[in-house]
Amino acid sequence: MTDQAPPNPCVWKNPLAVWGTATGNAEAPSIRVPDPRDAWRKNTAFKVATYPVGRLKYFVIWPHHGRRTWNRTRWWPTRRNLLNIGGLYNRKTAIPEKRILDRRPIYWLLSLCLLLIGPLLFPQAHMNALLTAGATFGIFAAINVCWTLIIGTASIFSLATYAVVGTAAFVTSLLSIRAGIPWYALPPIGAFIGLGFGILIAAPALRLDGFYYALLTLGLNELFRVFFTTSKQFGSASGGLYGADSFINQNWPPLTQSMVAYYASLCLLIGSLFLFRFINGKRLGRVLRMAPEKHEAFAAAVGVDYKRARITIFLLTSVALGFIGGFYAAQYRGVAYSIFDFQTVLLGLAMITIGGIGRAEGAVLGTLVVIFLRDVLLELGPWRYLIIGAAMLGVVLFLNNGYFGIRRQFNAWRAKKRGEWRSGRTEKGGEALPEEATEINDKDALYFRRFDKMQRDYLKELIRPEIIEEHRRQPLGQHSEALERVLLYFRRAKMEDKYALHRAGPAGPYKIIAFSGVRGVSPRLVDDREFSTLDEAYHAVFMRRVHDLLET
Amino acid sequence: MDIAFVIVNAVTVAAIYGLIAIAVSITWSSLGLINLAYGFIFSFAGYAAWLMAGRMPTNPYLIAGTGIIAGGIAGIIVCLLVFIPLHDKPAFTSRGMIATLAISLIGSQLFLMIFGPTSKSLPDLFGRWKVKLFDITLTADKIGIVVCSIAMLIGVVLWMRSSRRGLEIRAMMMNPHAASIVGIGIRRTGLYVMGLTGAMAGLASVLLSQTYYIAPFSGLTPLIKGVSIALCGGLGSVQGAVIAAILLGLVEALTNKFLGGQYVLMTQFLFIILVLVVRPRGISGLVDIAREQ
Amino acid sequence: MTEVLKIEGLSAGYGPLRVIHDLDLVIHPGERVGIVGLNGHGKTTLFYAIAGLTGWQRGSIVLNGKQIGRTRSQGPGRYTHQIVRQGLAIMPQGDEIFQGLTVEEHLDSGAFTPEAWRTRKERKERVLGIFAPLRKLMKTPVGRLSGGERRMVSIGRGLMTDAKLYLADEPTLGLAPKIGIAVMEALLAIDLKDSAMFIAEQNVALLEGKVDRIIGMHAGKLKGEASSSFRLSGSH
Repeated sequence: MTDQAPPNPCVWKNPLAVWGTATGNAEAPSIRVPDPRDAWRKNTAFKVATYPVGRLKYFVIWPHHGRRTWNRTRWWPTRRNLLNIGGLYNRKTAIPEKRILDRRPIYWLLSLCLLLIGPLLFPQAHMNALLTAGATFGIFAAINVCWTLIIGTASIFSLATYAVVGTAAFVTSLLSIRAGIPWYALPPIGAFIGLGFGILIAAPALRLDGFYYALLTLGLNELFRVFFTTSKQFGSASGGLYGADSFINQNWPPLTQSMVAYYASLCLLIGSLFLFRFINGKRLGRVLRMAPEKHEAFAAAVGVDYKRARITIFLLTSVALGFIGGFYAAQYRGVAYSIFDFQTVLLGLAMITIGGIGRAEGAVLGTLVVIFLRDVLLELGPWRYLIIGAAMLGVVLFLNNGYFGIRRQFNAWRAKKRGEWRSGRTEKGGEALPEEATEINDKDALYFRRFDKMQRDYLKELIRPEIIEEHRRQPLGQHSEALERVLLYFRRAKMEDKYALHRAGPAGPYKIIAFSGVRGVSPRLVDDREFSTLDEAYHAVFMRRVHDLLET
Repeated sequence: MDIAFVIVNAVTVAAIYGLIAIAVSITWSSLGLINLAYGFIFSFAGYAAWLMAGRMPTNPYLIAGTGIIAGGIAGIIVCLLVFIPLHDKPAFTSRGMIATLAISLIGSQLFLMIFGPTSKSLPDLFGRWKVKLFDITLTADKIGIVVCSIAMLIGVVLWMRSSRRGLEIRAMMMNPHAASIVGIGIRRTGLYVMGLTGAMAGLASVLLSQTYYIAPFSGLTPLIKGVSIALCGGLGSVQGAVIAAILLGLVEALTNKFLGGQYVLMTQFLFIILVLVVRPRGISGLVDIAREQ
Repeated sequence: MTEVLKIEGLSAGYGPLRVIHDLDLVIHPGERVGIVGLNGHGKTTLFYAIAGLTGWQRGSIVLNGKQIGRTRSQGPGRYTHQIVRQGLAIMPQGDEIFQGLTVEEHLDSGAFTPEAWRTRKERKERVLGIFAPLRKLMKTPVGRLSGGERRMVSIGRGLMTDAKLYLADEPTLGLAPKIGIAVMEALLAIDLKDSAMFIAEQNVALLEGKVDRIIGMHAGKLKGEASSSFRLSGSH
């Protein structure tokens, strides 16, 4: 409704006036009705701006499910399937299909196979250097996977991981050198030492919040460094301990020694991945996913004992780290002080940050990148650490959660942008946006919405003071074309929230109510105003409907 | 006398590490950033002072001043690289901490490449005079260190209480949302805070190099000690950091006297763990209004 | 004379939810405008959008002849401190206070331009003249004050600079009726020379007759009394 003069004034003459009218409604000022077919043509003409359609998630799709969905290959003795495959019917073609819903096991398998056949692919000239680097990669990747368990799953920001490994390595080396303990006993003894260490630093882990604990463990790392570097029996004179027993025989040719070291480290890595899977993927990890950061109080109130789960994970990983420490001593025959350096902690942090904190694949990828930069590109000299530091800084500045968090970060950004575009384009009750349209299964509903919107836009132009005055004078009976079109639209509306009149007594006052649209639910009172005559009440309902129309 | 000598040493050490602890506390409580790049700032300031000492070895004020200003510049560099890009992104606290560690790594490598691994030393800033007080010989550098640290601390506290910038910093410590309503820009205040705390670390570097040397990795031990003191005193409270510095200095002194030098770190950490187990937020964590994460 | 505030076609919302639909508004110097409406209909969103504390998607806001804010949502509050320096004083809903600071320091913090900082003593006197009960409480930390006193501090803080536009979001919210009336009277008694005041209030009775215009806000659209320079949107 505007204040301007109506564009097409005319005078409507009641066709029934020839036979006389009861109410004296022979003619009324009205407006000329524009052709509704114009609105249709304009709307369906192909100049509508098309926006890019929403989600595009790509699934690998195989044809034909059905018989094979039940009798599938499983991991004996469990009922667990080989791959997470979902069977469904294609919406468009009605052909049955199979989709792999989770492709990660395939990627893991491929990567591990690549690592296993790695030595066959290394160039002969650098074989030794690459094998040594590979062995280092295996051990550090195993340490970082365990560290990811602590930082990611258990949310305990501990920086003392390398201290645990170093302590276990040093003590087992000492035992091997002094007491002649054989190499196969070193990892289990290391595991015990790791357990002891874990118990020691587990108590503050519960009491302190995240970053307080991080700083405390940083200090502990330093403490252990000073202790070991200044104590004579731990080799302060020689920069470390050497001479422990090893499973790598000194008499083998050097290439064989490197190969054994490489594959042994890989086995350690696979073992740590199994540990990650069994802790993170099973009950403990699930318990802790129910108690995310800042919502722990709620989880505790619901009965989730997250503290115990965290401590359990912490102790289990400390055992694992101790085991790795013992293994380290057994493989390299000893250990140097550099493992307690602040530099090592920084490199370890770089490794798990670059890949993404909280995911095993992140730890492995980050370790690969950093070890490659540090141990393979030796010609770069001091630039290596610079590049590693720059990579760490870059990843932390631009990525929310390392390399493997890119997908989630992008999706979140895209959802935010989509919400903004949508809020700039939605109108109440308007046409469905493309991104909503792909989610609605019944496409008829979309066409109905579009048609409805066209109608309403057209009718909005027809609402003028003349129409309202005409209706006020005579709510029922013959009306001009403009008013008739509006009334027919109102009468066709669906029952939900449709206005109606309620009569208190036989000639009683009328009130406006609205239907609920649901069987058995009584209508609700819309307005307290009472109308004494029916005509007044009809007009009031009409005004309300006009008001609602104009608001959309 | 023995104990007095040891106490004097403890106070000296506490003064230097206390400066860093207070810097860490202020940065955390006003910006929500744990700045572990003090290794970088330390070495930066130390090398700048050394370069100045090479030109004008006889002017202690100039050398110290260069160190302080260089520390401030390094702090601002860290702010530009870490705080300003990250402060409104998710997981800001852990990412910020890791970013400062990355700067530490890059910085120490750069210094290693530019200045080489040999340590450098600064000339004595305070001269070589001695004072005898109640049978204790106090050397000039010890008096100088304590006096300078206390002067800087008092200066910083006074400035925070009386100037507009100090008011802004304190306001941001309490309610960053309301701060923007009164025209306090987070990024500009961040620059001020990191410049100020960098300057404090720069002064600590210059003072510390009276006793120790300047090397690419020389900033690590003071960083860890300063951070432990800040932790013990409660991240975010200045008086907590002062109290913790004094207590830890005492612990160091007593351990030195009765158990021997190599157990100092152990006793200090046992003390810190004890304090943290009793009061998880540090000594002043409950008294002061420390910032919640 | 340029308008103090001119909003054209503003659309603001949170994510896909649009709260304010195509809003147009003009406020002239020396004017006191009240805006009434139920909770959840967009009054606070409108104030936050003007101050830049929330992102808005379409339209333009011109304060004192200068365009403020941007349509790209950069993160709420990123440019608020610059917008505030253009001459905006916002007293948000439920006080945003600094708990550890004393009342005097609070008032000081409101004086953010260099000129205001230099003359802060006189300005504080002026504020104390309007809110007399604060004089005894100058050295108390604000966290210890009662609701009404805190509201007075929050409003007084907004008065410490010479702002062109004062935005007061529900000044009587949560206060006892007598204190609410006192606060509102003090607010309405402030002499606006060239500035304008924009008060959002649920209690219409407190505003009737004392402000130049009252606008209603319903479901993100303005309705109600129109002055000649005030255009309604849509086809009403």
